Formats: sequence, structure tokens, C-alpha cells
Amino acid sequence: MLIDSTHRVWIAVTMVALGLGLVVYIPYALVAVQGPRGGSAMGIVYGSMGSALMLFAGLLGARKKFPVWRVGRATSWMRGHLWLGLLSFPFILFHSGFSLGAAPLTRTLMVLFIFVIVSGIVGAMLQHFLPRVITTRVPMETVYEQIDHVCAQLATEATDAVTELLSALEGDLEHANPQQRAEAASAGTMGGVTFASAIGVDEPFAATLHSFFDDEIKPYLVQHSGRGRVLADKERASAMFQQFRILCPEDSWPRLKDLENICEEKRELDRQRVLHRLLHGWLLVHIPASYALLLLGAVHAVIALRY
Amino acid sequence: MCVVDIGQRVYAASCVRQVEPGMVVKTSTADVAGVRRTLLELLMADHPTPCQRQQLTHDCELEHLASQAGLTASRYPGLPTPRGHDDSSASIAVDHDSCILCERCIRGCSEIRHNFVLARRGKGYQAGIAFDENLPMGKSTCVSCGECMVSCPTGALVNKKKEIATDLPGTAVPIEELQLLEMFQNVSGTFLSLNSDAVHKRHFKAGEIICREGDYGSTAFYILAGTCEVFLSSPMAHVSTKADQGGFFKRLKSSLTGQAHTREARSERAFIPIDAPVDLPYDNPIAELVAGDLFGEMTCMSFYPRSATVRAKTDCTMLEMLRNVLDILQRNKSFRERVELNYRKRALENHLRSIPLFASLTPEFIDYLRERVELRRYAAGQVLCHEGEHSDSFFLVRLGFVKVSQSHPGGDLVLGYIGRSGFLGEIGLLGAGMYTATCTALDHVEAVRIAADDFRVMMEQFPAVKQDLQVVAQQRLAENRARLTTIRTAPIDSFLAQGLMEAQSLLVLDLQRCTRCDQCVRACADAHDGVSRLIREGLRLDKYLIATSCRQCKDPLCMVGCPVGSIRRKNSLEMVIEDWCIGCGMCASNCPYGNINMHPFQVQVEDLSRPGRKIAKVQSKATACNLCLDYDEPSCVYACPHDAAHRVNPSQFFAYLARQSDTTLKKGE
Repeated sequence: MLIDSTHRVWIAVTMVALGLGLVVYIPYALVAVQGPRGGSAMGIVYGSMGSALMLFAGLLGARKKFPVWRVGRATSWMRGHLWLGLLSFPFILFHSGFSLGAAPLTRTLMVLFIFVIVSGIVGAMLQHFLPRVITTRVPMETVYEQIDHVCAQLATEATDAVTELLSALEGDLEHANPQQRAEAASAGTMGGVTFASAIGVDEPFAATLHSFFDDEIKPYLVQHSGRGRVLADKERASAMFQQFRILCPEDSWPRLKDLENICEEKRELDRQRVLHRLLHGWLLVHIPASYALLLLGAVHAVIALRY
Repeated sequence: MCVVDIGQRVYAASCVRQVEPGMVVKTSTADVAGVRRTLLELLMADHPTPCQRQQLTHDCELEHLASQAGLTASRYPGLPTPRGHDDSSASIAVDHDSCILCERCIRGCSEIRHNFVLARRGKGYQAGIAFDENLPMGKSTCVSCGECMVSCPTGALVNKKKEIATDLPGTAVPIEELQLLEMFQNVSGTFLSLNSDAVHKRHFKAGEIICREGDYGSTAFYILAGTCEVFLSSPMAHVSTKADQGGFFKRLKSSLTGQAHTREARSERAFIPIDAPVDLPYDNPIAELVAGDLFGEMTCMSFYPRSATVRAKTDCTMLEMLRNVLDILQRNKSFRERVELNYRKRALENHLRSIPLFASLTPEFIDYLRERVELRRYAAGQVLCHEGEHSDSFFLVRLGFVKVSQSHPGGDLVLGYIGRSGFLGEIGLLGAGMYTATCTALDHVEAVRIAADDFRVMMEQFPAVKQDLQVVAQQRLAENRARLTTIRTAPIDSFLAQGLMEAQSLLVLDLQRCTRCDQCVRACADAHDGVSRLIREGLRLDKYLIATSCRQCKDPLCMVGCPVGSIRRKNSLEMVIEDWCIGCGMCASNCPYGNINMHPFQVQVEDLSRPGRKIAKVQSKATACNLCLDYDEPSCVYACPHDAAHRVNPSQFFAYLARQSDTTLKKGE
């Protein structure tokens, strides 16, 4: 969600309504004998308007439950939620006379309301900025629910790549690709050194790569979040792969590059996971708090009007 | 024997002589008969009697003609020196002595199979046929397709008794029995001996299922005796847009009253096209097939899934045949005439009525057309009409798919595909005077040709049909112009790089606005019985994501091969999968972008083996975005709370992107 020039109309409507509310409030606050109070006629009017705005803001959840219903574009509902929800705050302040209230219920209500408004503003800001961050920093973004599945696929791909690489390195052409086989066959005539023997001589290196895969790559790919792992750090990972490139025959570099790319994709997916949680995590507090606010608001209205 | 008297100094060969105005052709005078007899005698003089074919299958055409003419022996001496035998091929025996130099084998090899192995060799008595540069057949580039052997009228090229083994159910029919059947009477016995296992006789008891819709097969059926029912057992309207246009209250009212879509409301089609001589009425998709009907042609010729279920209504006997047999039958003039007669009698009216534009034709006019239309067959790649040629025909597609393309600098532009019940040629006949596009058969195509004169009579007698056709012609011309404009104005690199050239409508998500809340996916699922037709993943262009959702391609490859024509356009850009989809998955596998999904769901269907009882069955239906055609706006776009989802016209969208990019560059400078 971008809060940009397309929001102009909503901003204008909000400002005009706020202005009107303020214009009425100032004389009301000045002439009220006991000061502006929620129980006064004007206070009840402000309270009703604020509650109506809160209720409208709360209806966004219901609107989302029935996305196909032709009851106004969801974009309009969202903008209404944002700006009219924000407008409800000054109206409730006009209602309470800028007081938190004396009774525990009203005090709780006000605190809750401030919490809902602040969490909403934070959420709006996150949703304004984070999509751009995700777009630029996670080029290989996938559907959030698919991340685990994609990671499992990456692990399989990495296993295959390492198996092939090790097979070739160990002189076992069983798992080598056709090109490697062809090279092995033709290399046999070049100075009596075959492809297999040419790269299979460095057994300690093969063992190192094997253990690197078992100890670092595989756990990193399988682990839900790669935090704390060497490969989670792009620069360190890059340095490690560079070391392997130095030790490894040039023929094997493309496979090493594949492995490096797989780790890079995992890093991006981890980043997406974090950003996605941030993007939507605030709703975990905003929505329950909003429902509680509406419920307590209704209780407050009944109690206040009855007693 | 093609010799005829045209009143000139010498007799003419009717097979090559062009008809001229005022020409009088006598085909059966005593003199002509005498000349034919002499020619036969001369041919028989060189021909060893009985030849190998006559010995094996008793159908040497030359010897048959000779016996008809009462010739037992020739007065003339035979070949002074034999031309020899060639047994080098594993499958075909060549007897050069039996060859009468008719060149059928050469034409079969070059013109039908395009192998170009056979040609003429030598002069005088040593003239004959040669493989490549006169090599033994077994050492030539011959692929042993058998076309020469099938074409040969004598025993010059015969089968070496290697039957092609098949696993068809039923019992193989002996050649003698096949040759007694009218449909096989002019088919080469050599061919039948080679393919004796490719035609099986099958008996079905009343109620028995002969084939099921959606199954893949490779055979066609010819009904020898009995009656069958052909029907669609797939339930209809299962994967459709739920809501009517009309807003919340109408929706609520519909839900409360249990109002459902009527089938009529879902489609303007009165008939569902299937792979049989009859179409199925949309309201009651069941029809009858009788003795003499051939069904399953598309499955057999092009390996499409079966388009309908066929059940024996009475005890039935039928021939089940493989493609090579059907192919040879379709080249057989008498069989073609028989099928065509059957089509004229039974299917033409249905076929015309299945096209809404022609629904108003009177029975009298259809009777008039019945005698005048021509049923034409086209092999894959064959052209029905060439762009720029004088327009002399109107075509109704009866079977198969036709590609419509226009030639432009840089290559051909595919304008669309026309399947069964589609028509073409109206633009030229209604004014242009020439074909505006080239129409090419994509697979085995059968089309009904209505000549220009008959078409004009139809236009004069039925102004409403003319008006409707003019509207269609205008629409098609406008669409073609729009496509051409798209190609000329769009930034071609981006289009080509991402395969978006073919798109007409893209679901684009602005990733800087999108909060990945998946409301678009939810809305799509809500609008389509819980089955989403979009995946929020796909190609990325700048800050935009081209979601995996039907692009309404200009070149809708998905349409090619649908055995029941359920995936189609509705005179506009949106692709629609009609509710009679049989779930064969052809469209999903044809879509190069993975935008069509097969959705399995459980339904109660009639137990075909125990009529009257129902069983649970997992049925699939193809689903693709139809742009929520029941609504003003696609649900995914309408339900996006962040104004991130948009359905865009690719040409305008890419032009806008290009302009933006130019502006940014200029600012940077």
C-alpha cells in the first residue's frame, strides 16, 4: 500500500471533517460549565460520530471476508479504513474532552484506543515502505506459504549438485553429467591423464567439500531460519566459495556457482520470511486490540447511556 | 482406362486433358471400348499373369479390368528380356516385370509421403521404377512406409507377408471378409494383408460402453449393425462463476431462493460439437448413432481424447480400426462418398444449426444446400485458402483445427484458430473479394465448402444471417487491425523476451503497492467455487509482477485440440471454458504459460455399467481466468485493497512503461 497522491481526496475529506469538528468543539469547550464531557449532548454526538467511524473502520475485516461482493472497491474501503479510522481518534478526544477518563473502563478504553491507533499508524507505515524493500531486496520472492517447500527443493538441488561434483572429483563418473563424461573420454588421449584422474588426485579437497556440505550447506538449507550460520552472511559465504574455487578444478566451478546461487536464494527467502512477518505481524496486535476496543466501546456506551 | 473420344484426330487421356468450353466427350462408344481393349492387351502382354498380388489377395486391378473385358491372353509378345525382381527390402517385394509404369508409386512416395525415393529409370523395354539412384530397395533411403505398395495397382510392389501386429480387442477380420464390405472394396488388398490386424470386429451388448469421454485412444469405430447412444456424462456448470451481476441484493435474493444459473444463461450455443457425425444438443446432450456411422475420427487421426461416451443402445457390431486403416479409407473415393452422403443426410442440418448465426436458416434452404455443399478433407499443413487469392468459397469447419494467419514483413502473424463449428471465408465473400488471411489445417481437418454462388443466394434469402455475418466480419477485421497495431507499437524486445507478445490482457501486480495479502487470490477462489485461477507468482518486469493467470492470448494454443470445443472465445478477448468440459486436460498441456489448471472434484454420476445407479467419481474440469465475465471488473482487481492489481492491455502498458523509462532517462541526463 502506497500512501501517495491518490489518497488526496481522502486526506481532504478527513481534514475538512476534522476542521468542522474542531470549529464546533472550540466554542463548546469554552462555554461548557463543567468543561467538555462525554456525558454532555455534544459529548455524546462526538462519541457517536467517533464510534461510527471506528465501526466503519472495523467493517474492513468483514469486507475482506467477502471479497467478491460488489459493495464498493476494496481500495476505497481500505482508504476509508485508514483515514476515517484516524479521524475517529480526534472525535473521541473531543468526546472525552482530551481526558483519559477517571473510571477504569474509560481509562482502559482510551489506552486501548491509543494503542490501536498507534499500531495502525505503524502498520500503515510498514505497508508503505516494506513492499518496496521486499521488491528490491528479494528478487527471487515466492509465495510466502511456499517458502518451506522451496527450501526443501533447494536442499534437494544442492544435494544433487554436490553428489555430482563429488562423484566427478572422486573419479567416479557414474553420477557425472554427459559433458564431464565426454571430457573424461577425450582427456584420456591427452598426455595419458584422464579427466577422472586429473581431478580425483586431491582427495583431501573432496573430503573438505563433503564435510562443508554436511556441516554447513545442508543444515543451512534445511534450517527454518538460517540465523547464526556462516552461510547466512553473504560476504562470508562468498569468501568460503571463493576458497573452494581456488582449490577446485575449473571444470567444477559451474557446479560450485550453482551451490552458491542456491545459498543466495535461501538467504533471500529467509529475508522474505522476516520482512513478510514484519509486514503482517503488526496485525496480530492491531486486529485483536481493535475487536477488544469495539467490544469495550459498546459496553462503555451501554453503561454510560444507562447509568 | 482413361481413354476417351473428344472428337479430335486422336483419343485423349481424360486424366490429364482439361475440359474446354464446347468440348463433347464420349466415354463409352464401341471404338473407345476397342481401343481400351487393345491397350489392355498391350499392358497384359508385359504383365505376368497371375501376378503376385493376384495370387495373394486376388485384387490386381489390371487383371480385374482384363477379366471384365473378357481378355484371357494377349495377342502380343511379352517382354523380350525380364526386368527382374528386387527382394532386398525386408518388407516389400519388387517385381519389375509386373510394373505397368503407371507411376502411382512415384506419386505416392513424393506427393503423399514426401519421401522422394522413387523415380523412373531406363528407356524402352527397360523402363521401370528406381529407388534413389537405381539402388536395390533395401539399400536405398526408402523408409518402408508402404505407400508405394498400397498405391500399386498390380503385383509390382507387394507385401512380404509381414503383418503389423496390434493389441486391439475383438477379433481380426480376414481380408476376404473385409473385401466383401462396401467400404473396403476399392482398398488395396496388399494394404489389407499388411494391416489385417489393424481392423477388428467387435460385438457389444445393449448397454455396454464402447468408449468413454476423456479417454485417450487411437482408434475409430464404424458401426456395421445396431444403434448406439452418444452422450456426455460429465456434469455441467461445476466450475463456473457463481454470482450474477446485479449486486449484493440480487445475490442475496438468489441465495435465499436457491436460484441457479440456467444452462441457457451460460451459453448461446445450442449444440456441443463432438467427434461423431452428430452434435449433441446442449439441453440434453445425447444423440444416436446408427449403422454406417463412423465415430472417433479425431481421436484416431490426431490422437485427441474421446469427446463423448458411446454406449450400445441395441446389440451392436462394429469395426474398430487404427489410423492407417482410417487414413486409407478416407482416401478411398467410394468410402468418402458414402460418409459425405451420410453427412449431408444427417449431420449438415445439425452442424448449421449448431452455429448460432445460421440458426434462422429454413429447412428448405438447408435441403437446397444439402445437394450443393462439398465435404473437403485436409491433411495437417494443407492450405484451405491463401491470403490474396480470389475468394470463391465459404468454409464451415466440421473436424479439426484451422490456423488463420496473415503474412507480414518479418513473418506470419497468427490471427487465431478455428475449431469445429467455426467458419471462415466470409470477409472475402462479403466484400473484400479475396481471402484476407491464409487458413491452414493444423491437423486432420474436414470442412464443408459452400461455393460463392450458394453463399450469395443464402445472403439474399436471409438478410438476418447476412447482417450477423457482416458484424462478425467487422469484428474480425477490427481485431486483426488491433493485433497489428499492437505489434507495431509495442516495445518488441520486452514482449519477445517474456513471451508477452501473444497476450491481450495481463494481470499485473504493482509490487511496490502489493502487501502480499493474497486478497486477489482469495477473491478469485471465492468467485469460482473455491478454485483460484491465479497464482501470485510469475514473470517480473521492473516493479511489476505478471501473475500466473490466463493472458487471453492472441494465439490461443489452448484451444487447439479441445475435443468438445469447450474452450473458446466469445466474440471478444476473454477465453471461456464452457461447462461441458470433459476434463481431458488437453488445453492445460497446450498452454505454454501454465495458466490453465485441472481441478479435480467429486461428483455423483450415473454408473454406466449399471444403468439407474449412481456412483461417486473424481471428475476434473479445466479452469482458467475468464476475466469474471459475469462482473464489470475481475474480482481479483476489485478485491485488491491496495490498488496493486490491474488487468492491463499489454501494448498500452508496455508503451507506458517505455515512456516512463524514457522520462527517467531524460531526467537523469
